[in-house]
This record gives sequence, structure tokens and C-alpha cells, in this order.
Amino acid sequence: MSGFIVKRALWAVVVMWAVATLVFFMLRIVPGDPIAAMLFDVGDPEAADDLRRKFGLDQPVYVQYFKWFGRLLVGDLGNSIYGSRIEVSRVIWEALPRTLSLTGLSFLIALVIAVPAGLISALKRHSVLDHTVTIIAFLGLSMPDFWIAILLIITFAAGLHWLPAIGYVPLAEGFWPWFSHLILPSIAIGTPFAAIIARMIRSSMLEVLRTEYMQVARSKGLFKMRLVMVHAFPNALIPVVTVMGIALALLLAGTIVVENVFAIKGLGRVLIQGILDRDYPMVQGAILVVSFIFVFANLLVDVLYTVIDPRIRYD
Amino acid sequence: MNKISKALTGQEKARIDDELRQAYDFDPKDPLFGLTQQQLGGPELNRRSVLRLMAAAGTLTAWHLMPGTGIKPAQAASGGHLKAGWAGVGEFRTLDPAQINQVLLFQIASNVLSGLTHINPQLVAQGDLASDWSVNDAGTEWIFNLREGVTFHNGDAFTADDVVFTYNRSKDPNISIHSRVLSNVNDVVKINDHTVKILLGAPQASFLTKTLERASGRAMTIVSRGGLEQLSESQYGLTPVGTGPFKVTSHSLGQSIVLEKFENYYDPERPKLDKVTIIPIIDVEPLAAAIEAGDIQIIGGNPVAPELIDRFEANPDLIVNIVAGPGFQSVWMNPWREPFLVPDFNKPVEELMKEKGFKVRLAIAKAIDRDRYIERAQFGRAVPAYGTINPAMGFYFDDALGEDSNQKFDLEAARLLLAEAGYPNGEGFPTLKILNTPSARREVQVIQDILKRNLNINIELDTKDFPVLIDEFNHMDWDLVRIGSGGDYDPDDGLVDWMQTSSKFNGRNRDKDKMPFGQFSDDEVDRLIDEQRLQSDPQARKDMVQKANKITSDKVACAFIYHPIDAQVRHKSVNFPAESRIPGLMDLDRTTIS
Amino acid sequence: MAVMESTEGVLPEQPEQRWAWLRFIARDKKALVGMIALAILTLAAILAPVLTPYDPNAQDFAMIGAPSWAHPLGTDDLGRDLLSRLIHGGRISLFVGTSTVLMALLVGIVLGVSAGYYGGWLDTIIMRYIDLQWAFPNFIIAVYLVAVFGTGLSNVIIAISLAFIDDFARIARGMVLTIKEEQYIAAARTLGASDNRIMWRHILPNATAPIIVQATVSVSYAILAEAGLSFLGLGVQSSTPTWGLILADSRSFISRAWWLGVFPGLFIMITVLSINFLGDAIRDLFDVRETKDLGAH
Repeated sequence: MSGFIVKRALWAVVVMWAVATLVFFMLRIVPGDPIAAMLFDVGDPEAADDLRRKFGLDQPVYVQYFKWFGRLLVGDLGNSIYGSRIEVSRVIWEALPRTLSLTGLSFLIALVIAVPAGLISALKRHSVLDHTVTIIAFLGLSMPDFWIAILLIITFAAGLHWLPAIGYVPLAEGFWPWFSHLILPSIAIGTPFAAIIARMIRSSMLEVLRTEYMQVARSKGLFKMRLVMVHAFPNALIPVVTVMGIALALLLAGTIVVENVFAIKGLGRVLIQGILDRDYPMVQGAILVVSFIFVFANLLVDVLYTVIDPRIRYD
Repeated sequence: MNKISKALTGQEKARIDDELRQAYDFDPKDPLFGLTQQQLGGPELNRRSVLRLMAAAGTLTAWHLMPGTGIKPAQAASGGHLKAGWAGVGEFRTLDPAQINQVLLFQIASNVLSGLTHINPQLVAQGDLASDWSVNDAGTEWIFNLREGVTFHNGDAFTADDVVFTYNRSKDPNISIHSRVLSNVNDVVKINDHTVKILLGAPQASFLTKTLERASGRAMTIVSRGGLEQLSESQYGLTPVGTGPFKVTSHSLGQSIVLEKFENYYDPERPKLDKVTIIPIIDVEPLAAAIEAGDIQIIGGNPVAPELIDRFEANPDLIVNIVAGPGFQSVWMNPWREPFLVPDFNKPVEELMKEKGFKVRLAIAKAIDRDRYIERAQFGRAVPAYGTINPAMGFYFDDALGEDSNQKFDLEAARLLLAEAGYPNGEGFPTLKILNTPSARREVQVIQDILKRNLNINIELDTKDFPVLIDEFNHMDWDLVRIGSGGDYDPDDGLVDWMQTSSKFNGRNRDKDKMPFGQFSDDEVDRLIDEQRLQSDPQARKDMVQKANKITSDKVACAFIYHPIDAQVRHKSVNFPAESRIPGLMDLDRTTIS
Repeated sequence: MAVMESTEGVLPEQPEQRWAWLRFIARDKKALVGMIALAILTLAAILAPVLTPYDPNAQDFAMIGAPSWAHPLGTDDLGRDLLSRLIHGGRISLFVGTSTVLMALLVGIVLGVSAGYYGGWLDTIIMRYIDLQWAFPNFIIAVYLVAVFGTGLSNVIIAISLAFIDDFARIARGMVLTIKEEQYIAAARTLGASDNRIMWRHILPNATAPIIVQATVSVSYAILAEAGLSFLGLGVQSSTPTWGLILADSRSFISRAWWLGVFPGLFIMITVLSINFLGDAIRDLFDVRETKDLGAH
């Protein structure tokens, strides 16, 4: 078992390296000269060359790569090419809790909606309730998350003025301010996820209920609710757990767009803003951190899966 | 037009005329600009002297003299927490004066850092960190007595060493992007802890007003030596340490910056507010939502989007104060590409009018219905433009140019020109691309539509982000581009930066073998612009400026479209001293909330 | 093996049963609605220039006009008819959605089949890369590729196509491996080569089934991806409207013009929903469970 974990961990490291290298080289072929944009107001071509030299952008690519990789290993992600040249690692460090808060809350909200919905749907199969839940789940899956975000803004922020339209407040400043800023974006991100989970739970529960084991237990007259919660449900969860790694992927992908709608400076916004500004170091840093999160999460899920279901082993 | 300015009363007009006359009443060769040494010395320059200096420097504009508008602040109580939203910006990248290149960043820095002098709301130049000053006969040596007992936010005492330090830092082009502003300063010498001597190369009227002033001066905005030692340069840019009325207590990049009252500010009366929180709000709707909901009480930063103005004006809780904006926007046509090829502008207009390339240029410029454009693209909130000289330049603005210019909207003439050029009713006209930034996409679609319906020509949008656009712009790698300027308060900002052959925004990275000039080049315009810079007789300067401007207009250096407006929006509970309406600035040291 | 059995009856010899699958799908009401909706949308997209009441780019009308008889979905902030714009927008969205999946499918199948068929180091190299890509959500990959290549229609298509390759490659490879196994077993069982044909008659439906299911799922995600990219300002840049772009442009006017924010999203949702209904029915038809349930997000 531990051999398996070590192997997966090593593979994760290789993946990270591969991603980092890909990211580095791909960004070098991007059109547009960010140095020129920085100096638009000042208008001095020699200053541009100076800056290029300062950033090491005049050296051959492979030299840049090795230097960059070296710094990466000590956690130095470089500096933004704009303004006060703030350290990328610092920007990401500040952005991370926002994205994590958002992802976490979205996850919770999604579960709170999806689990009961999926359960009810499975237990009352083919009833009106089941059909309703199914349709709603389909709707949730089909609505672009940024559209949900806009609808929520139209209704709750611009219309009713119940909730703020944008921004983020750290938890340190109070629960309600923090929560009120996050609730709309979390609903937007969490909805497609909730839809998927609800459907998964439904089909998974149906499978489990169908098994002979369950039929036998039922025929023995075991009390129905106990049956469901103690026996069926945990088994139904197994396939859901496998989905968790992909769940994180889904949620993080969702934050990229939704953060932009709500002007929350999380990883997603850092990434998109960096892309639009051609701030190479910022884009690299953000993509690397995002990749790291995925790889790590997938690793975690794989390990978790083996723990939960000891029957499963990878060679 | 009536959405922009209110009519002046007879009394106000008389006062303005009087002040203007007095301001310009001096011998231009006088190194002291018609003032006595006493008048030029500290601790205070009265309004008349300041106006004289501004006139001599050529920076006196009409709005300086306009009557104030808005609520007169009653004896409002001190204290309170003001929340401000900065429009159209996502984050405040740096507040280090040596690196600031945007007005919206200045607006914040001006509350945290000080200069040696500051122009107060009544246009009186007062000492900020200087308590007194004097000048010699030749106007080349200034001695400043520094205020005693001033401390930086971190507790360090402010002394002459800090002035010298700031000077040395600002004149180093590796650190400061404004080093050129100090080109006339030969040296800054410490006499003792509280006295500095500044030596100029030549008498400079704008010295007090521009070089030393804390906000627009930038070059001599006093930075903290100690602060720079304690914090890294990038950290100093985020949380600068200064001697201003507010200190930065926190700055979360992209989310908010918090300023708090500096208890040891040298003026115990200021600031009035306890705390200011500034939030960058890049999108239009959230900005509107924020001020309508009361999440913010005042809007600063970039100009407010024109589509919001009507909405704010209709809101009884908000005060909207509009003045003419300092800038221009236009559509440029690459003179090195078909079909508007013009390899040489150095001919009289009549001769140019015979050339095919010029006809196309003129046709396009004349086909742009500026009124329709302003109505649809700017919701009526702009002024038609025919040159780089904008209404905020007051005295220099030629409001008759609209009638006289060769570029004036004339649909029939435009169609005729296009037909003469070989494209009757747009037939055979190539599909061109217009380079623009994402934020201008909406406007450019209006231009696209206007050109289609008026000339039946097709223009495709080529939307690129700012860094890419600037690169292509500088390389002259475009058919058409929509670009312009902001923050232009002095004719030099428009003419010198754009219209001379050597201008920094005139194709500076182009292939000079293939393209001898960038977007536009005219010998007479070059000459006029050079001369007007040295001209201290304001009337003569005005004539030259307007003449150069007209040539650029008639010869279609570009198709000028509009001058934006400058609108300040605040909640009615905010008492913003009316005359504090210094263009671009958002000084909050006298602001109160009731 | 269960897969094989259930598809036994699906592609029968008799002609009149050839449309059995259609009838099967039609029995599912949701799928029926989906099919009809898709047919309407596709037709509208194809016939757009003829069908739309106004030129989508004509700025002729009052700005920010509420839905009315003349303009059923209202007008936007430049005075253009929203309905016409949305119909035209559908062309790009549907085109991008289908073409990217087609390309991803082709490339993915080629990669997967090569890997599965040749095995060895080719398999290792290809699948290591595919696994790498598979670890990341396709949308993020697409965003990143657009960052590298730039924006614009062709770049968006390339970016989304590349991002969606992983799903098809994996399925194709899996199928090839299954087929290989079957072949050996079958070869052991049969006497001559003629059974190959039977093999392919049975194998092919097995192979195409998961591909078809994946394709429908991917199309819905590709449409969402294009909309997302346009929304972020990383997509198609021209004045030709795409749904995501129209939605993005609506943000500055959202409190005054709710229709600008509601209808574009509604069109996206209906399209994706229809595809999802259809995809669900197809999946039930083939009873395929191996495909990644979450599609390619």
C-alpha cells in the first residue's frame, strides 16, 4: 500500500515538472510585448531595452528556463512585470484563501442541495418528485455558471439589494461580511456541481438498492430508513468519492469565470488578468499553483479511494 | 453641449475676464514674471500671484477660474469613515511617486505624501512641507525653509536630507520615470537640517506649481528614506510612507487600500476624516450598484462611464459635477497603407486634396457624424473634437474650429470625395481592420456602423489587449487604430506628444527606412509646436497653438472624434469642498461626511 | 461482455428495424424535446440570414429597448435587435461546438488507436501525455491555450479542440484493447478468417457507442467552453455576436436591461440542455457506463 502511495507521489512530481516546463515554453511564443505597454506613458525606447535586460528577457530561452526553474524550486515565482513589481508568490498567497473559501463554500452548498435531492430522487423513483429533481438537475448542468452568476446579481444584488454585488471580505472581519460576499458566487459555482452529484447519488443509490444484498435485507424486514442510511447510502457514496477529484477540477474551473464576474481576486482572476495583461510571470505562477492543486487533489483522492474500498488496488 | 457647462452669470464672466487680464499682464522676459521677490516668496503666494505663475507657465486654464459648484460645506463635524470606489481599475499597482504613471494612482498618493508646496482650494500656493521660501533676482536660486516638527508616518523626523534624497532618487532614470521633469534643476543643496537651496538652470514659471507641488509634481513628492530602507521597493510601492494627512494602514492588492488619519500631521485641523477605504471597481454595474447602495460614497479613479451619468443625475441622493475633460479620442489612418496612402503631408491643403489617398482620409473623417457618435457611444456625454487641444485647456481651446475645419461632418462631401477617389458608394473599397482595446469595443462598433451607413465601407474590429495594441501601434502595424490621450491640461500634452514628427506617440518603433515618419508629419506644425513651447507671451502662444492645431485638423492627421467629460459623483452626505475640484485629483484632507 | 450482449439487437439486419434506436430514444420524452429543440436551433442557425427579422449589426433602433412586438427580445445598448443577434450567435456557438468536438474526436481516436494498437513505447508516450492532460479540467486547458495562441475564432477552435482530445483518446485506446482481446479469444474459437467480418459487425457498434455518447457530452461542454472564453474576453473578438460575448457585453447594463442578461444565457442553456437530454437517452440506449460521467469540464 505504501509502495503504491510512493509511486503515485513520484508520478505526481513528474507531472508537475512536465506541466511547469510546458507552461514555460508555451508562454514564450505569445505575441505582444509587455515591456512596451508598461512604458506607454514614458516613451523611451532605451528604457525598454534596459527593462528587458533587467528581467533577463534578452537571454536565450534555455538559459532563462534553467534560471527560472532554479528559482521555482525555492518557491520564487518571479515578479509581476508591472507597477511595483510585486512578487508573484505573494499575490498568489493572498489569492489562495479567497479561491479556497469560494471552492469550499461551493462544495458545501452543492452537497447540501445535492445529497438530499439525490436521495429523495432515488427513494421515490419515477415519482413526480423524482422527475422534478431530474429536470432541475439537468437545468443546473446546462446553465453556464457565469450566467447563473449574472442572474443572481440581477435578482439579489441589483434588484433586491440583499447582497453585495462584488468583492471579498476576509473571514477575520466577521462571519457575515465574509459569507455575504461569497454566497452568490458559491451558488453560481456550486449549481452545476450539485446537479452532477445529485444525479450520481441517484443512480448510485438505485444500483445499490437493486443488489441482492439489499433485496435480502429488505425481505428480512429491516426498518427502511435504517436500511437506507446505514447500509445503502455509504455504499452508494463510493463512486461519488471517486468523483471528488474531478469535483475539485470542476469547482476550480468554475471559480475562474465566476471570480471575474464578482471581482474576487482569487487564483482565477489572477490568471485571467495576467493573461489579458501579458504578465508572463503572473500567468505562469497561477497556472502552476492551479496545476499543483489538481495534481495534489487527484493524488489525495486516489489514496482515499484505496482506503475506503480495500478491494481496490492499483498495481 | 448644454449637458456640459452651465451658463455663467454676468458677474462671474466679469470676474474671470478681470483675473485673466491681470494674470497675463507682465513682461515675458522678466525672470520673476512681473512679480516682486516678496510676492514670489513664501510662506504663501496669493491667488493673483499663483494665477500669474500659471499664466507664465502656460498652464492657466479656464476651469481654474470657474466658480465652484456644489454644496457649501457647513461646519461639518470631523471624523467618520469614507468609502470610495475607484472606477475602471482592478488594482493599485504602485503608489511610489517615482513609478506612478496614472492619474488614478496619483489621486491616492496625494493624500499620503507631501511636496514642498501645495496649491490649495482657493488657488493659493501654500507651503506644504516648506514653511517659507525666497527667490533671488535672477529667478534661478530658491531657498526653502522647511517646516519643523514634521514626522513621517513611521516616526522619522523630516529634514532637508529627505529633500535631497528625494531629488537624487527622482532624477535617476533607473528608478524614476519622471526624471525628465527635473531637467532644469541643477542641484538641491542642504544648507542645514531645515533649509534647502534649489538651483535652476533658467527661470522657470512652472517651478513652484509643477516641480514642487505634491500631486502633479511627482518628481519632488517627498519619499521616506527610512521607509525605503525598512520596506522593499515593491512593498513601499504598495504601502508608501510619507508625511501626508493620511497613512496607509493596509493595502490588499486588488481588494482595497485603507487610509487612516495621521495623528501627527503638521496641520492639526486636517484631515477631518478618520478613515478612508478605497476599493478598485473595474466594472460599470458593480460601481453603480455600490454607490447606489451606499457601499461607497464617492467615485474617483478613471472617468465615470458615460452610460451611468444620466442614472446618477436622476438619483436624488447623489451629486454629479461635470466639467470638460482633458483629452481627445480619434481614429488614426495609417498613411503608409492603401487606400489612404499619403507619403508627404508637406503640401498646401489644396494640393493634398487632389491626391487619392488624402481624399479617402478626408472622406472618412468627414463621414463621421460626431453628434450621432456622441449620442450613441457616449450617451451624449462628450464634446465633438477636431484637434488635440481640448476644452479643459480653456484659454487655448478654439471653439470655432468645429465650423472651420476641413474635417467637419459633411455627408455629401464625404461621399463625393470617396467617389472621386475611385470608390463610388464604397464599391471596391477594401475591408480594413481597426485596432482597438476591449474597453473601446463598444465605441468602435458605433464608428463601424456610421462608416457603413454613411460610406458603405466595411471595417472589421481587431480587438487586442493594451500591451499588444501598444506594440502594434508603435510599430505602425495597423490599418486604422482608435486611440487617444487623457490627462492633457497643457497644449504640450497634446501637440508635443502626438503631432510632431519626433513625438513619442508617433510611430516610434516603426521601420524608419520604410516609413520616414509615423502617423503624421508636417514641417510647419513641427516648427510651430517648437516655437510655442518657448513662447511666454500667452497671446502669441495661443495663436501658434491654434494654428498648429488647425493644420493637424485640416490635413487630417487623424479623424478626431470627441473630447470626454470629467464627472465627479458623490453622495450628498459627502462635503467635498467645491473648489477642491482640481482636475484629476481627489484630495480628501478637507472632506467631511455629515 | 454485457455491452456486447445488449448491442446484439441494436444493429440488426432487417431494414424496418433500423430505426428502432430512433423510436427508443423518442420514447424518452426529454430526449424527444431535446431533439426537436436542437433541430429548431440548428435550422435557425443555418437559415439565419434569411430568418432573422433584422440585420444583427444594424444599430438602427432605440438603445436599450425593452422586449416589444417589434423586438421580441428587446434591443441592446447600441440599438441592435437582440433576437437577430442571438440567432446569428447560434451559428458560431454551434459551429464551434461541433467542429471542435469533431477535430478532438479525430485526433483523439488516431492517438488512442495508435497507442492501443502498437503498444510499447508509443503507447507509453502517448498515454502519459493524455493522462497528464486528463488530470486537468478541459476549460482551464482551453483558457491557457488561448493565452498562448491568442484570441480569435480560429485560435479558439484550436484551443478547445486540443483541450478535448483526452477523453476521446482514452476511450479509443480502451476500445482497441478490448477488441484485441476479443480477437484472440474469437480467433481461438473460430476456424477461419471470415469471422472477422462478424467481429467487426459486433465490435464496431461497441466501439462507436461510447464515442457517440462522449461526443454528445463533449459538444455540450465545448459550447459552454466557447461561451466561457468569449465571456472572459478570450474568445471570438469580432463584432459578429456569439452568445458568450453578448452576455459579457450585457454586464455594463444589467440593472437597466435584464433581457440582455437573461436571453443569451437562456439560448445557451436550451442548447446545452437539449444536447444533454439527447446524450442521456443515447447513453441509456447503449447502456454505456464507462464514459466519464462528468463529460469534459
